Amino acid sequence: MTLRLAIALLAVTAFPACGHRLDEYLQNTLLSVEKTELRAQMVLTPGVAVFPLLMAVIDSNGDGVISEAEQRAYTARVLHDLSLSIDGVRLSPAVTSLVFPALAEMKEGSGEIKIEFRAALPEGGGDRNLVFENHHQDSISAWQVNCLISRDPDLQIRSQLRNYTQSVYQLRYTQAGARAGNLFFASFPASQALPGVVALFLIARLFFLIRQRLARN
Amino acid sequence: MMKARLVAATVLIGLAVTGASAQTPTTRIVSAATSFLSKLDDNQRQRVQFAFNDEEQRKRWSNLPVSMVPRAGLSMKDLTPPQHAALMALLTATLSPRGVEKVQQIMEGDELLNAGQGGRGGGPGGRGGRGPGGGGLMFGKDLYFVSILGTPSVKDPWMLQFGGHHLALNITIDGERGILTPTLTGAQPSLYTLNGKTYRPLGAESDKGLALLNALDENQRKQAILGFRLADLVLGPGQDGKTIQPEGLKASAMNEKQRAMLLDIVSEWAGILHESAAATRMAQIKGEINDTWFAWSGPVTAAPSGNIASYYRIQGPHLVIEYAPQTMGGDASLHVHTMYRDPTNDYGRKPAAK
Repeated sequence: MTLRLAIALLAVTAFPACGHRLDEYLQNTLLSVEKTELRAQMVLTPGVAVFPLLMAVIDSNGDGVISEAEQRAYTARVLHDLSLSIDGVRLSPAVTSLVFPALAEMKEGSGEIKIEFRAALPEGGGDRNLVFENHHQDSISAWQVNCLISRDPDLQIRSQLRNYTQSVYQLRYTQAGARAGNLFFASFPASQALPGVVALFLIARLFFLIRQRLARN
Repeated sequence: MMKARLVAATVLIGLAVTGASAQTPTTRIVSAATSFLSKLDDNQRQRVQFAFNDEEQRKRWSNLPVSMVPRAGLSMKDLTPPQHAALMALLTATLSPRGVEKVQQIMEGDELLNAGQGGRGGGPGGRGGRGPGGGGLMFGKDLYFVSILGTPSVKDPWMLQFGGHHLALNITIDGERGILTPTLTGAQPSLYTLNGKTYRPLGAESDKGLALLNALDENQRKQAILGFRLADLVLGPGQDGKTIQPEGLKASAMNEKQRAMLLDIVSEWAGILHESAAATRMAQIKGEINDTWFAWSGPVTAAPSGNIASYYRIQGPHLVIEYAPQTMGGDASLHVHTMYRDPTNDYGRKPAAK
């Protein structure tokens, strides 16, 4: 909080009226849920006053240039600072797209780092609970997280819960036609499971009888 | 003789009526656009005109100053006085009087920023002038750009873009349809005094939003007020065609008076465009009002005669409005960004209903 206050004071005195982000590191995330995967777009905009702090992190060799290797390393660090889970199962995000702005734009407070990632979703029940936590650069960040409405009518968002800063976000949604697990029978409603078992037993018995008869012949 | 005079008079009246009915908003806009283009030289015309489907130009807008996000087209400083007048005539034909006023007040605010008067009441406090690194000018009335995508036509679709810092009007004219989405307005300072008169370019948006919040009962307010901070626009520049999950209070849970107040807020954006297009758009939004949401984040009061420092969002099936005060450099009530969208019809892409 002390760091935030110091940066805010610096921003107010050094840049009293500028047309760009100043004393915060805005991280705007849009999530998109599909049946088998989660997609996300993160737009990260460092303010002018906090850029030097961030540059020290990104420019690991301190040469004043952000190389492709440093971009990739920084992106890995961002993803490392995220925590993603669904129904209590931790997810592993993988980067699908990365765009870094010019250094001059970042110095001006107008540069946007755009990271897109995906994570495979394990099968689950009809009611799903996704939790997204972002702890990247806690001391200087302002977070925003939202979920896009799915074009798949089987997916319906029930609620979005966040803490005040939006560093912790919980999405509850229903997934019609979802399987409770990997078992074949689990895809049937309980009322239909028993007839299914009986039917399979009868088919197996029929095969057994046919094999016996063929063996006799 | 008498009969001949009567016939002639009837024909003249008929011609006059036909002429008047031919003067639709679109014919007036096309006429003004054609007149503006005719006043430019070849080089200027080449710079101002783009292909209708030029996606790069469509998306070349921002809340940021032009020194940070360069715009294309012709800037105000590129125009001679007659060309400037022709452009103003085009804007006047396309926008409502209230829309023109809003645009002018946003530009005047930027001029104050340029003069280093971005503080409260237009007093000192700004650091306007040149962009970082000693680049070109950053703020001011000269740095607003016009571009035309396609050929002005009463029949075929074309676009008029006008904007700069804190302003991006993306107007598609498609026959008698006028589409204003996506459009960005903003202001810094959003409260200033000029020649002894106080201006709040987006004051009505602020006042009407707060008035609706105050008109809600306790239970409604609990639903409308989000328990988290919103630091900026969620669907700002670069987020075309996206629909987020709506939040807050659904208008179906409001009473008639509150729904009317909600529509009145929306009219601050829809009403930027000329009356006929605004009426069509308002009818669409009114028809979907029960599926429209109102959400609020931040302080629930404002200083007397001041702007709110709170974020609000109005979202319907074909509508997203965001009002987002900015904390850059101090008082959030003095710097605001707003966004007006129809995620299903960015740049008028949706074909007209038959």
